[in-house]
Amino acid sequence: MKNIINTFSTFDSRKAQQLRKKGVSTVYSLFRLVILLSIGFIIIYPLIYTIVTSLQSKYAFLNSTRVWIPTEFAIIENYSAAFNAMEYMKSLWSTLKNELLSAAIEVASCALVAYGLARFDFKLKKVYTAVLFLTILVPEMMILIPRMLNYSHLDLFGILGLFKNISGIDLRANILDTPLAFWLPSLFAVGLRSGILIYIYIQFFKGLPRELEEAAWVDGAGPFRTFLSIALPSSGVVILTVSVFSMIWHWNDSLLSGMYMSEDFPLAGQISRLPETLGSKYHIILSPRDPQGIGYLMAGCVLFIVPMLIVYMIVQRWFIESIDRVGITG
Amino acid sequence: MKKAKKNRGINELKSRYGYLFTTHWIIGIVIFFALPLIQSVVFSFSDIKIVSDGIKLNFVGIENYKQILMIDANYETWVTNSLTTYLYSLPIIILLSMTLALILNQNFRGRLFFRALYFLPVIISTGAVINLIFKTTGSDMSEIGVSDAYSANMVSVDDIVKLLDIDGKIAAFITQTISKIFDLVWSCGIQIVLFLAGLQSVPSSLYEASKVEGATKWEEFWFITFPMLSRVTLLVSVFTMVELITSERTTLIKNVYSMMRAGNYDETSAMIWFYFLICGGIMGLIIFLYNRFLMKRWE
Repeated sequence: MKNIINTFSTFDSRKAQQLRKKGVSTVYSLFRLVILLSIGFIIIYPLIYTIVTSLQSKYAFLNSTRVWIPTEFAIIENYSAAFNAMEYMKSLWSTLKNELLSAAIEVASCALVAYGLARFDFKLKKVYTAVLFLTILVPEMMILIPRMLNYSHLDLFGILGLFKNISGIDLRANILDTPLAFWLPSLFAVGLRSGILIYIYIQFFKGLPRELEEAAWVDGAGPFRTFLSIALPSSGVVILTVSVFSMIWHWNDSLLSGMYMSEDFPLAGQISRLPETLGSKYHIILSPRDPQGIGYLMAGCVLFIVPMLIVYMIVQRWFIESIDRVGITG
Repeated sequence: MKKAKKNRGINELKSRYGYLFTTHWIIGIVIFFALPLIQSVVFSFSDIKIVSDGIKLNFVGIENYKQILMIDANYETWVTNSLTTYLYSLPIIILLSMTLALILNQNFRGRLFFRALYFLPVIISTGAVINLIFKTTGSDMSEIGVSDAYSANMVSVDDIVKLLDIDGKIAAFITQTISKIFDLVWSCGIQIVLFLAGLQSVPSSLYEASKVEGATKWEEFWFITFPMLSRVTLLVSVFTMVELITSERTTLIKNVYSMMRAGNYDETSAMIWFYFLICGGIMGLIIFLYNRFLMKRWE
């Protein structure tokens, strides 16, 4: 009915309507831009502040006429101080070895679990899914202490302890301070936030068409063969998403590394200790009267963020597109 | 008949493969999840002594809980502090990230730029570095003391609230929210990602149908987008709750963690269990109410 009236209405009124619509949409897009820019400012402000502060000397810091543009630079001083205090290269290696490698292991082992849960029907599937949600819900903090204490005498279901009582030979290994403390949970797909990663994988695998895999079955490929050569090649998108999440969480993790290690910390551990390290190395106490340390501190933060920022810039195009396609949330 | 039999065979085989693919995970769950979880309950009821051969447990009943609730003066303040932060942050984060996701899902120039910008917190916000940055820029600037240099540039929220003549409790809420604005916006990263993914999965045929029926934008949101997002909203809420509870920025976790590192294992276990039980209770209540009043309406 409305359409008929519209068709018969005069040209002028239609034009007026169009103009009004256009006006409304212009106002709306302006409004949208304002909101996006203002909240974007909140996001970018701490970063810009950090970068600017890391560039300038303490005298510039005390100069109250300066806001954004640094007046006196002390780039080399700040960055070399932070670089040395964090033992950057050593901690970077520790991060690569402990955290990022275990992220890679986690991405692989979670894919297996998720494929099993998404593709096959079995009796205990409901129980398994419930357990999966439990691992998402229970915070890491809760099991941190027992895990750490167990790591100092790693035992398999008490078998080795029993063996020790019988024969007197202690086979239980202390894996604290070794990369194994990070690798082992990842290998068993119960590493850092594995639950969420498995969940993302499951949502994706459920959406994959079954026909190809069934054809492979008919042609006589085993389940692992099917998984490796049919399912995995078509799930590059989800692997990218999961890898990015896992990498970021591992890179930023200072909680676990703080408990499992007593030396040779990864970068995240170093950065959370930086105020104390600055105190012991350069005798700097962070206070308003002596802003020297703030430049060092912010330089440390920049050094910590930059590698991840570079990775993000490389993958962000695919990452943002992949979110459209993964359908994380089903 | 024959076919059915064969199918059953395949299904049996497939179910076996299901177990095969998840064996390592179940072993991991037992060693690295279930066992530590039980142990930490036991720890909270015992007195721990560290000896050369591991640890020595001494069962003391509810002594630890008595200690933290009756004698320890700080614990209650930590818990109430953390809980208030948790309760007021949750709705704000969800509303904010949903709105932003709705905006970022539209087609406009510069969309990719803004998406890249808004995903930035995902990279940094979970880390220790953000604590340092917020210490110097955000709400608790005074801790390190750059506030003198910076607060001069900013408009005081207190003044605005006073000017508008808003009464006590609401005013306090507004001031608190605005002073935490960095924290809140920076907590929205992954939530925006999840909401966007959810928006993408709404079938476009629904929108076309509503357009034919002549629905307004508001009706479209209220009767299509919001119901279709209800599962995602639940997921995001759960995720946000877990994040908020365990964030290293909450008073309780910060203090408990430093106590842990100092080697106090029994009391901290009790502290964490008590806190997480309360939080879990609230979480369960929220999920229950959500299911009862929002999910049911559309199913």
